[in-house]
Amino acid sequence: MPQADVVVVGAGLAGMTAAIALADAGARVEVVARGHAATHWTAGGIDVAAPRGSETSAKGVKRLARQDRHPYAILGEGLPAALTGLRSVLATEGLDFHGDLADPLCAIPTAIGGTRRAAILPTAQANALVQWQSSERLVVCGPAGFKDFWPDAIAASLRRPAVWGSEADPDASPSRIDAIVVELPGLAGRHNLSGLDLARFFDDPRWRADALERIARAVDRSGAQRGGGRIALPAALGLADHAAAFDEASRILPLAPFEMPLVSPSVPGLRLYAALRAALRRRGGRIAIGEPVEGIAFEKRRVTSVTMAAAVRDRVIRTEGVVLATGGIAGGGLIGRSDGRLVEPLLDLPVEAPPAENWLAADPFDPAGHPLEAAGIRTDSSLRPLDAKGKVVLENVAIVGSLLAGQHYLVERCGDGVAIASGHLAATTLAPKASVSVESRRAPAAAKDTVGRQRAGTRR
Amino acid sequence: MTIQEIVHEATFGEVGLSADECLKCNVCTTACPVARVTDLFPGPKYVGPQAQRFRLATTLPPQGASTPHLTSPDATVDYCSGCGWCTTVCPADVKIAEMNNRARASMKAGHRPRFRDWLLGQTDLVGRLGVLTAPLANWSLHNRLFRWLIELVVGIHRLAPLPMFARRTLRSRLGADRRRGAADVEPPPERAVVLFHGCAANYYEPHVALAAIEVLRRNGYETIVPEQVCCGLPRISNGLYESARGRARTNLGSLADYARRGYRIVGTSTSCTHTLKAEYREMLDLDDDDTRAVSGATWDICEFLLDLHDQGRLDTGFGRIDATLPYHAPCQLRGHGIGLPALDLFALVPGLDAIDLDHDCCGVAGTYGLKKEKYDIAMAVGEPLFRKIREADAPRAACDSETCRWQIELATSTPVKHPIEILAEAYAAADRPAVASSGALAEATPGR
Repeated sequence: MPQADVVVVGAGLAGMTAAIALADAGARVEVVARGHAATHWTAGGIDVAAPRGSETSAKGVKRLARQDRHPYAILGEGLPAALTGLRSVLATEGLDFHGDLADPLCAIPTAIGGTRRAAILPTAQANALVQWQSSERLVVCGPAGFKDFWPDAIAASLRRPAVWGSEADPDASPSRIDAIVVELPGLAGRHNLSGLDLARFFDDPRWRADALERIARAVDRSGAQRGGGRIALPAALGLADHAAAFDEASRILPLAPFEMPLVSPSVPGLRLYAALRAALRRRGGRIAIGEPVEGIAFEKRRVTSVTMAAAVRDRVIRTEGVVLATGGIAGGGLIGRSDGRLVEPLLDLPVEAPPAENWLAADPFDPAGHPLEAAGIRTDSSLRPLDAKGKVVLENVAIVGSLLAGQHYLVERCGDGVAIASGHLAATTLAPKASVSVESRRAPAAAKDTVGRQRAGTRR
Repeated sequence: MTIQEIVHEATFGEVGLSADECLKCNVCTTACPVARVTDLFPGPKYVGPQAQRFRLATTLPPQGASTPHLTSPDATVDYCSGCGWCTTVCPADVKIAEMNNRARASMKAGHRPRFRDWLLGQTDLVGRLGVLTAPLANWSLHNRLFRWLIELVVGIHRLAPLPMFARRTLRSRLGADRRRGAADVEPPPERAVVLFHGCAANYYEPHVALAAIEVLRRNGYETIVPEQVCCGLPRISNGLYESARGRARTNLGSLADYARRGYRIVGTSTSCTHTLKAEYREMLDLDDDDTRAVSGATWDICEFLLDLHDQGRLDTGFGRIDATLPYHAPCQLRGHGIGLPALDLFALVPGLDAIDLDHDCCGVAGTYGLKKEKYDIAMAVGEPLFRKIREADAPRAACDSETCRWQIELATSTPVKHPIEILAEAYAAADRPAVASSGALAEATPGR
């Protein structure tokens, strides 16, 4: 039976952040997940907090932390350090972010012609964070025949002032918005062209030199570059060779480029996942995708092993701790039963949830958020799961990410910040015991544990 | 099985209905090694769960089985290599690869199989003929003119990696008494395992099985080698389910009794053992006592050894091998869901620096990369892996699966070993006086 100091269940932002921090603390970590997670769907920025009425993420965090049931009540204080830590990890892997907690939340134009408020974005999207000057134009430019990005529709929608938000400074939008459609080499007649395909084209230095030339010429011809401004492109400027592709785009195009994230598969999300995965592997952490966890065994309030489904014979990993990063309702970390109960399927942890008759809101777009969104696991200040009476259920389990109760991550836009801060905190909760070498650990409580540890001492 | 039954199965079976869980998130497409390199395959989602909706719609009432749509709405499903990564990464547990394989089989059902595809499914027949005529067969299969002719006539790419036939099969080397394994001389299951050698070890690489036998002997296990035929996977991959079922029944008939008596069935081919473990049930719909008994008793050789180690029973007296060893985990290994046991075992060998190359697929995917129209795709799929191996500049690499080894050897000119060969070598190194240098050890592969 293999042995890990900590098993992280779930390979999303929260799980990977926890795993990287644990590996940094010297723990042997294994990430197990039934499949790829929300990283592959999201826009690739870091949404820390953008509740209505907050000008900056920092103020948003403060506001949310004041609600004592919100995860930020526990996590708010540690967030800045966790964020700085993860950003430096990602920067080492070639993925840099711009913007910070104290920076204003800006209206960022999106690929469906709306805006969303954000403050921390990867380099390739960061030009959208700069406040628009009154003379500046926005050119929305995409390849012909690409079904996920329609420059004319995007531009038409963005020309409506209401899109830029009533709270925003009315001046803080482009003076003029144009659309340009460009024929890019080799794409004519292609069916099923996705952002991912396009990104792989941009990974090819020769193809992208040609493509960027064509885009530059099209912008020149339209005269849109006069007076300066920025150009929005579909988020597909390379995957494996993204940094070089974006540098070239910045150099060759007559306007400052920024990427607009598309529908899934999300290329910026894939870049984020690739960087997280590389960082974990660099630290000796392991990751197994496609091995769904079937059960987690525990003795006397301590988890002892994690069992994964295999072709035959379950695969069992003996462990000293578990980070539960299985997501909320959308991720499968919580499951709604037909009898009106929400359950946590792996450990049957107590779920804090509204009663079934309150699951549905009268207004699905209620600014207060959906009632079911706040469902999750209640924890102590070390992220250990609590029962209804406030007693710790399992000593060596940490709950992270959207499985934490009390957040409305869609309207509060706090999902990434909660994931990063909780992942970081989970590592400090579970690492102290794990970071000491196997031989020098304190005597285990349960006899069965002792056997496991001696075995562990003989491995490797 | 009638055509209608196949269509029904492909749509209504557990595999077919898992399409209903598809979120259309496209995560499978991001992980597809084939879609990454070619426009000819739109990606697993499109030919899998997306097309499945049409297959479901056309066979559901009111049309019913009287008007079945016999073909997949998207013929490009034939470009799926069957590596299985789509199923691995799917967050919603959709059986995408299995769905695609069944769709391909139902597309081909009712037609006479293409000679080439039929031939690639006959690994045992080809192996037997090849060994009989080994000098001639090896010469002609590695002669450029012959290969060009074969490509022209049969459709097997002239550059595709074909292995060398052994002069003698494993079975004939082991001798008749061992082969028959008469019950009265068999050691009990605590002291013996059953070897499923597969076609590769029997016809091409007997030294791999011999290394396994030696390592097992060192750990107190005799090896029983009962009657067996090809596991059937090459037939499954080429859409020849009925013929594969015949092979499966022969193997089950021979192995089930051992399994029931408590013997473990160990194999050196990850794809054969995965077929015994899972594909008889998942792909061929065999669901009887024999299938279950054999499935539950089957082990990959490294999985078996690591389990011994976890029980504290593995002889860890490995000698030094001072070398860097790039390691590629084959796609079929992931289907086992057993982690990467070879890497855990390599960690026990002093001096050995095994590197997980962390690449999805070498491209060949069994017989896929041999086909004329798919060879370039297969090479492009594996290219990042080949580059990593070339850059590692190591004397050898390691990989559990035979077709992957042949593909990587061809593409990189680096010898690629089965992990069990490395372990056997490490034991041998321990037995020799301490003159260990990596150069001397490289020559020491047993069975050669």
